[in-house]
Amino acid sequence: MNIISPEQTAIQAAAKAFVAQHIIPKAVEFDKSGAFHAFLLEAAKPSKIFGMAVPRPYGGLDYSPLTQALVLEEWGYGCCGMATTLAASVLSMESVLLAGNDEQKRRFFTPMLNGKIGAFALTEPSAGSDVGGGKTTAVKTADGYTLHGSKCWITNGGIAEVFTIFAQTDPAKGVKGISAFIVERGTPGFTVGDEEDKLGLRSSNTVFLGLHDVKIPAANLLGKEGDGMKIAMQTLDLARPAIGALAVGLARRALDECVALTHERFPGKPFPGQALQFKFADMKIQIEAARQVLHHMMALREAKLPFSEESAMTKTYGTDMAMNVTTTAVRLMGAAGYTSELGKFMRDAKVMQIYEGTNQIQRLVIARAVLARPKAAAPAEKPSTEKVTAK
Amino acid sequence: MSTSQANEQQRITKIADAFADEFLEPIAADLDRNGKYPKAIIVELAKHDLLGLAVSTFTGHIQAVQCLSHVCPAVGTILNNHAAASYAIGKWGSTAQKSLYLSALGKGEVLGALGVYERGTAIGIGQNALVGSEANGKITLTGKKSFVRNAGVADVYVVFATLPAEAGKTSINAFIVDAKAAGLSVGAAEQTMGLRGCPVAELTFKNVVLDTSARLGAPKDGVAILSETLAVYAVGEAAQTVGIGKAAAKHAAAAAKHRIQFGHPIFSLQAIQTLLADIASDTHLAWLGVQNAAQLIEDGAPFTTESAMIKNFLGRFGQRLLTDAIQVEGGMGICEKVPPHFTGTLPLARLFRDIAGTTLLELPADFPEAIIAASL
Repeated sequence: MNIISPEQTAIQAAAKAFVAQHIIPKAVEFDKSGAFHAFLLEAAKPSKIFGMAVPRPYGGLDYSPLTQALVLEEWGYGCCGMATTLAASVLSMESVLLAGNDEQKRRFFTPMLNGKIGAFALTEPSAGSDVGGGKTTAVKTADGYTLHGSKCWITNGGIAEVFTIFAQTDPAKGVKGISAFIVERGTPGFTVGDEEDKLGLRSSNTVFLGLHDVKIPAANLLGKEGDGMKIAMQTLDLARPAIGALAVGLARRALDECVALTHERFPGKPFPGQALQFKFADMKIQIEAARQVLHHMMALREAKLPFSEESAMTKTYGTDMAMNVTTTAVRLMGAAGYTSELGKFMRDAKVMQIYEGTNQIQRLVIARAVLARPKAAAPAEKPSTEKVTAK
Repeated sequence: MSTSQANEQQRITKIADAFADEFLEPIAADLDRNGKYPKAIIVELAKHDLLGLAVSTFTGHIQAVQCLSHVCPAVGTILNNHAAASYAIGKWGSTAQKSLYLSALGKGEVLGALGVYERGTAIGIGQNALVGSEANGKITLTGKKSFVRNAGVADVYVVFATLPAEAGKTSINAFIVDAKAAGLSVGAAEQTMGLRGCPVAELTFKNVVLDTSARLGAPKDGVAILSETLAVYAVGEAAQTVGIGKAAAKHAAAAAKHRIQFGHPIFSLQAIQTLLADIASDTHLAWLGVQNAAQLIEDGAPFTTESAMIKNFLGRFGQRLLTDAIQVEGGMGICEKVPPHFTGTLPLARLFRDIAGTTLLELPADFPEAIIAASL
């Protein structure tokens, strides 16, 4: 249970209904084939839910951070593969919200209101946890930039209309030489590789992007040259709780399915033995705790208080919790679990511990904040974001 | 362990490792994708004398299971089910039953399987339970056995059925059932998360008539046969988990040495070393437990508590071996196929799905904690 407003309750109910009608019935089929769930974009079009983070002046739904979390939890309950498409599209927008000018925002957000989506492209073969290790370059030309390099494991990469792409404008400066750009689908030289065959989140689209002398106008630079790392880290701070929300939904679903299978298995018996009862209680405790970490973080964000450390916690605790809960769910159901949808939940949770910054990188962020705090001092002003240079 | 036993184990390890390299490595990924029972591999296992070890040397058997599961756990599961059925017949079979089945099972002329699980809360409970009735020297079985591994490919099943006993009570009896018995049918293959290639299906018994000579052991021995056979199976399954855990550590460590981030191989980071060390430690400690239980089995000593302890340990920590190994590999770890622009072999996603099948599966009502607690 959560304490939410009547308006949020209505939005949550609408999300539940959408998930029940469109997502849950298709989740197993798309998980099996691994094909992209294109139907979902069409089904979601009337609701403009892909524009839930778009501000009202641009025609979006302008949901508050907490409201977005409520929607994402429901989508995660339905299918984290499908929910990842929504979460990653919102992620791609955050950079534009943070650093874009009015024209850029209009350009980037308009597709979101028409059933189209965006993608955020930071990771490279040589730059995973080590964001500064990227080799993609952006060379300044007379009227803009020429991008050259590649990006990998890009969620939504094969289907997005608009991209935020990070590249080195001054490689000698390392992370301080990274800049952020808007790139539109179809720009010459911009190529999309085959879809990855993944363990989990199988129907979410994950691809390799090639950038071969992709020419873009100067108006596509987000913020200033060299702002890229700051924009990327602030974007991830804003976006990580989305994964925390998906994880809460996923774990809640695993628990619900596990309860249903238990009732099927123990018909007429109100409760199974204590060994099982305790495991159910532990699952519930963990789910509720993860949700409260998440909602607390969203409250900090809405109150304009620093939340970088808490953001990392929502993702880390949420996805570790989901891994635990989904594993426990399979274990409780045994062979019946191994041959049911519960296995999908485990596979999805595993991917979530890795994407959008591995849980190891999150722990570095959290540890740095914990250890930096002077003992017995008054609460110090924390910066709203922290750079991850890991090491 | 005697010197001769140690020599025998070394010999078997060498054969099984070489077998895994030659026969399993080339097919493991495809077997996972197509899920088709690898008959040719089982024939080869027989040729290499790896199908009869559970009866002749149980410590040797778990070595073989561990080595094979290191590369292809699905084949380990096929072997393990065959071995548990062989063990039950070897231990409780009559002279006639042994001469009929044991040599054939050992040579791989006959493949064995266990029919244990039912969809009810416990064996004998629920409308689909496998129940029997006895009259005129014949036993008639009706009902179902669920999640039977090697279903449809086995030639002989050791199944547990519930029969009426004295004073209105029931008792569990073990039977040897020929796969060709009239009235026995195999249902559709279950879709399993991993261990694909080892068929799993439901057996339906519709008035299957057996001679009383098909009974394994005495009626009063049924419960002991059941618990001991499951305990033997659990030790074999734990050996599989150890094989998978070793593979996880090996592949994750190799990936960490290869992967450069922050200017160094990530293998040099303490966070990565911690993950790898936990995987290796838990795997090693589990292996000591497996060897201990296997030795007890080979010596004919009581072993069900020790078996339950390993099952409990791996139920808690087994899945973690792969959850953590994949974490080390990151994006590569969650790939089912090598992505374009990358090189390497990626068994971890498959092993993640496989290890769930060797560590997490138990009946809700059959939890090893009860066996351990009862021993205290």
